[in-house]
Amino acid sequence: MSVRNLKGNGRWWALAGCLLWLAFTFFPLYWVAITSFKSPLGVVGGPTYLPFVDFEPTLTAWRELLSGQRGQFYNTFMASTIIGLSASVIATAVGSMAAYALVRFTFEVKLLTGLIFVVVAFGGYLLGRHVAGFGQATSLIYAFIAALALAIGSSWIRLPGPILGNDDIVFWFVSQRMFPPIVAAFALFLMYTEMGKLGFKLVDTYTGLTFAYVAFSLPIVIWLMRDFFAALPIEVEEAAMVDNVPSWRIFFGIVVPMSKPGLIATFMITLAFVWNEFLFALFLTNSRWQTLPILVAGQNSQRGDEWWSISAAALVAIIPMVIMAGILSRLMRSGLLLGAIK
Amino acid sequence: MKRHSMSLVRLQQVTKSFGKVEVIPPLDLVIADKEFVVLVGPSGCGKTTTLRMIAGLEQATSGEIRIGDRDVTNLRPGLRNCSMVFQNYALYPHMTVAENIGYGMKVRGTSKADIETSVANAARILNLGAYLQRKPSALSGGQRQRVAIGRAIVRQPEVFLFDEPLSNLDAKLRIEMRTEIKLLHRRLKTTIVYVTHDQVEAMTMADRVVVMNQGRIEQAADPITLYESPKNLFVAAFIGAPSMNFIEGRLERDNGGLSFRAGNDVRVPIPAKRTQALTSAAGEEVVLGIRPEHTMIATGSFPTVPLKVADIEPLGPHTLAIGKTGTAPFTAQVAAGSPIRPDDIVNIPIDVERMHLFLKSTGEALGR
Repeated sequence: MSVRNLKGNGRWWALAGCLLWLAFTFFPLYWVAITSFKSPLGVVGGPTYLPFVDFEPTLTAWRELLSGQRGQFYNTFMASTIIGLSASVIATAVGSMAAYALVRFTFEVKLLTGLIFVVVAFGGYLLGRHVAGFGQATSLIYAFIAALALAIGSSWIRLPGPILGNDDIVFWFVSQRMFPPIVAAFALFLMYTEMGKLGFKLVDTYTGLTFAYVAFSLPIVIWLMRDFFAALPIEVEEAAMVDNVPSWRIFFGIVVPMSKPGLIATFMITLAFVWNEFLFALFLTNSRWQTLPILVAGQNSQRGDEWWSISAAALVAIIPMVIMAGILSRLMRSGLLLGAIK
Repeated sequence: MKRHSMSLVRLQQVTKSFGKVEVIPPLDLVIADKEFVVLVGPSGCGKTTTLRMIAGLEQATSGEIRIGDRDVTNLRPGLRNCSMVFQNYALYPHMTVAENIGYGMKVRGTSKADIETSVANAARILNLGAYLQRKPSALSGGQRQRVAIGRAIVRQPEVFLFDEPLSNLDAKLRIEMRTEIKLLHRRLKTTIVYVTHDQVEAMTMADRVVVMNQGRIEQAADPITLYESPKNLFVAAFIGAPSMNFIEGRLERDNGGLSFRAGNDVRVPIPAKRTQALTSAAGEEVVLGIRPEHTMIATGSFPTVPLKVADIEPLGPHTLAIGKTGTAPFTAQVAAGSPIRPDDIVNIPIDVERMHLFLKSTGEALGR
């Protein structure tokens, strides 16, 4: 059903409805944009709507923001960009490989193996901490290495009990996004500080924040890419298999080009998530690798509600994503599969 | 092109189960070197599974598969030196025709010049020269299937595997491609295993047709043998278009000979030279099979069956009269311009020399 199919009044009503919705969604953006060009007096002196008509625009807020009076703006912008791009690239790359494996290969994990992992990891940690007297991070590392080794080893023996398949593995991944992020943020902060005591500085570092974002983005990437890969015609890959093309080459040479729209969409979603993420950045950074959401939020808490400067900072946080989405959506056009089959 | 001395394919006691369901009970099949074998049968008969086991895309549950003198049962698909053409073409959509055809060679590290020569050669054989720089999306269905065949040719495989390659093409193109693939076989002299559900395709293309049903081979023979002496009811019904008519009845002793009787209307005496072989079946319930094209006899007197005509199909060279004899559906071929009209009851002659008799209980052909 398209608006074009409507006749007479219906068409005008539909158009009016669409325009109303457009105004509704655009107004906040417009308001932020004009506020960033208002002088402090212009903001507090009652609402004004039209630049050059209601009020005289000024660049004060932008000058203050870009000159660094309002916090390390350039530094924060660069930190957001670097972490956003690298976390999204890594998460999309690793996640799509995992998703491909989950679509094309059958995995069997015994429930008992999972139980062994959990019991040894937790038990080992508690033992190391309270009985053997290791430090928190040390006992954590030992316990996890032991748990991983035992779990892998146990999968070689025939264990009784139910066997989990690919769907269960995917559910396990997605379930990590079901609990409130604050739970993980606290735990991650504690773990990072403990690791810091061992000499691996993770709080307020590029590695630490990127790693956290990759880990937190993976479930979504796997979940999205799994559907894209499942929709690919398997015969194309089978044809390559019969032609003796190695698996990694099938993935990079055939599967990845065929799922380019999906990869770009997933990359975009991950980037938006990392770019806008607030909670982890708040816990895991304090100065050097602070990101834009922290800076924007800080405007209010540090200097009171100076809306002109908050608006300018918010726009800086929004515009790169709009540009990114604009560029990438051109590449996201569908129809790449055309001609593969039938 | 390199030549392989022997590329015979041998399946020995091969079975395939999906979970607890056995889709292929122990199966034996030998495909000779340079032979064009067509596996044919209704959907779900196991023909595609068998082909995919030869390709290595499905692992045989038990048994042994050999290509030439190599045991390939546990080899991955790429090492079996087969080429496969799929029903839906399975081209690489982001590559041009030339890249599609040459991709396998490129991956195997063949030199650029050699790839170009092979691609050009394949393009010449398949008439694809003008399309080499196009993407598959800019090609018609027939051209796409030719690209898929080109990709298979440059591999120089020991065995070509075709999985219903013509099913997605329209009728006219299908007939053209049928001839092209046959010409290709004559030219390349490579063993071909070809799967189709279309018995006409099977009959017209194959050196030998393997009729499959429920995972078993019902009969494997050259097309004419299948047509003239089907081994059982399934093959008789499956091969031939329009398909064979069947009348259920009983084989009875009659004036020192044998006749087939169904109800009060049908009595078909068995020719003397066939009675010897059929004596043991006297008194048994049997099925008489007669092809529509064997119901039109120019001269002589023959036993007849009554046909209540429901419809007339004038085809040009001859006409089909479709209706029922007793309760069994029956199609008779009559002369073009025959005065028969729907609702007529006519006596249709039966060519006793070419009729078939099957034991009703087992479906096996009698007196072959």
